[in-house]
Amino acid sequence: MSLSKFARLSNANFWQNSGSGSIGGGLGVDDSADAGKAISVSCLSKRFRIPHERKTTFYDHLVGIFKGGSYTYEEFWALKEVSFSVKRGETFGVIGPNGGGKSTILKALAGVLYPDGGSIRIEGKIAPFLELGVGFQPDLTAKENVYLYGAVMGLSRKEIDERYEEILNFAELKRFENMKLKNLSSGMYVKLAFSTAIQTDPDILLVDEVLSVGDESFQKKCAQKIDEIRRAGKTIVFVSHALGTVKDLCERCMLLSEGQVVSIGETEQVVEEYNQMAVCAEKR
Amino acid sequence: MWIVEYRELIRILTISDLKVKYQGSALGFAWSLLNPLLMMLVLYAVFSNVFRFEQENFALYLLIGIVSWRFLQIGTTTAMTAIAGKPSLVTKVCIPRQVLVLSSVLSGFISSILEFSVLIPLLIFFGVKFSFSIAFFPLIHATYFLLVYGIGLILAALYVYYRDLNQIWDVLLQAGFFLSPVVYPISIVPEKYLGYYMLNPMTIIMEMYRESLLYSKAPSGAEVALSLAAGFGLLLAGTFVFKRLERRFAEEI
Repeated sequence: MSLSKFARLSNANFWQNSGSGSIGGGLGVDDSADAGKAISVSCLSKRFRIPHERKTTFYDHLVGIFKGGSYTYEEFWALKEVSFSVKRGETFGVIGPNGGGKSTILKALAGVLYPDGGSIRIEGKIAPFLELGVGFQPDLTAKENVYLYGAVMGLSRKEIDERYEEILNFAELKRFENMKLKNLSSGMYVKLAFSTAIQTDPDILLVDEVLSVGDESFQKKCAQKIDEIRRAGKTIVFVSHALGTVKDLCERCMLLSEGQVVSIGETEQVVEEYNQMAVCAEKR
Repeated sequence: MWIVEYRELIRILTISDLKVKYQGSALGFAWSLLNPLLMMLVLYAVFSNVFRFEQENFALYLLIGIVSWRFLQIGTTTAMTAIAGKPSLVTKVCIPRQVLVLSSVLSGFISSILEFSVLIPLLIFFGVKFSFSIAFFPLIHATYFLLVYGIGLILAALYVYYRDLNQIWDVLLQAGFFLSPVVYPISIVPEKYLGYYMLNPMTIIMEMYRESLLYSKAPSGAEVALSLAAGFGLLLAGTFVFKRLERRFAEEI
């Protein structure tokens, strides 16, 4: 129920058509969130089950029953009561050590993972760049893949038609439009994906370390484009290990460790805290 | 409604499914039509010489049976892997996941329509006179679509958790093939089992196809009602199961 509602939101036509809704575990939805917030997350928790014995077939289950079934599993809380909010037009960084829950947060925001507790409120259309080129089919041509990827991002046929030229020009792949994707280089592949994804005109971008794509000149183009988007007043949630980039881009930052919020605040401070944390860990 | 919003994605996925299916072999589309025809030849040879059934137009009876059965067989087996076979569309992006199942069932549906449309010249060739009853064909086919889609949703969701479901489903399909009147007339079913036999929605659907295309009869109200009930029932059951199991798709794939 809540997921389809979310999908409706994420597919709203451009930014003038932003609505509001919530996804979450069915726990309370607070309507008190003020209008300036693009994302508000409260007490978000996500639990993964790590079975002691992985069973992926009926056969495994049957054997398990005869052996005296062991359906035990460990619980692993990837996120524990995480609360934060992101203002509209803000670039918000998420940093922390590996396994700290950064990607889980993005996936929960994107609606891919179902939260086990807490709630997420999103205002506007969200573009999940968790990975570029999702759904690309190697056997289709570059042109067909642009249409496919645009559709995955929730664009209508007409909207893709209008943007098609711009996408290919930005990707510098006009010459190869009728070539099968599997014959393109991996750099071209990512260029094509980024150029298409960028054309979806989202209100909120979720960026998970995808900016280091293509050759140097294309990287520059990407960085410029992201900066352009930022200045156009779009909200960006940026997950990265590159602290330098985070400092450059983000106004505010959240430090996550072992699924819990260590601190939220000015980027400088939070990055400083993260560095100290790393130093402490090394000493031990 | 997700169908309307994601119609472009559904369209593209359906078409690319069809393209992959038909571009794979040199004969491509021709194969998908030749296949049921050749199957019919084999079965006709067996069933007209070894088992002798008193059934008007038995060759065409068989052909309609096989072509209609193929939609269930191909539709459900491709739908089963629709979710698990496209992990990136499940774990990396938020789309309504039913889109994947719907488009794979739709491509089977379109193939099935094409196969039926090749049947029409054959029917004429064998001297079948069409009547108004052919007008029921779209209704029957649409009802059948709901049924296959409902089953497809259940299979696709379960397959994410149980990866040997395809083995089990193959066996169940084979059983279903002989428990439905595909290659024999209903008249050979013993009287005492007939009550149970008629509970199979596939029996009703196949009878309706044959009445409408072969015997110039309108399906009875009871048949229409029962098949619609089965179609919508499976659609609801499928949606329910899918929604419940969907929450952990991204973790299990």
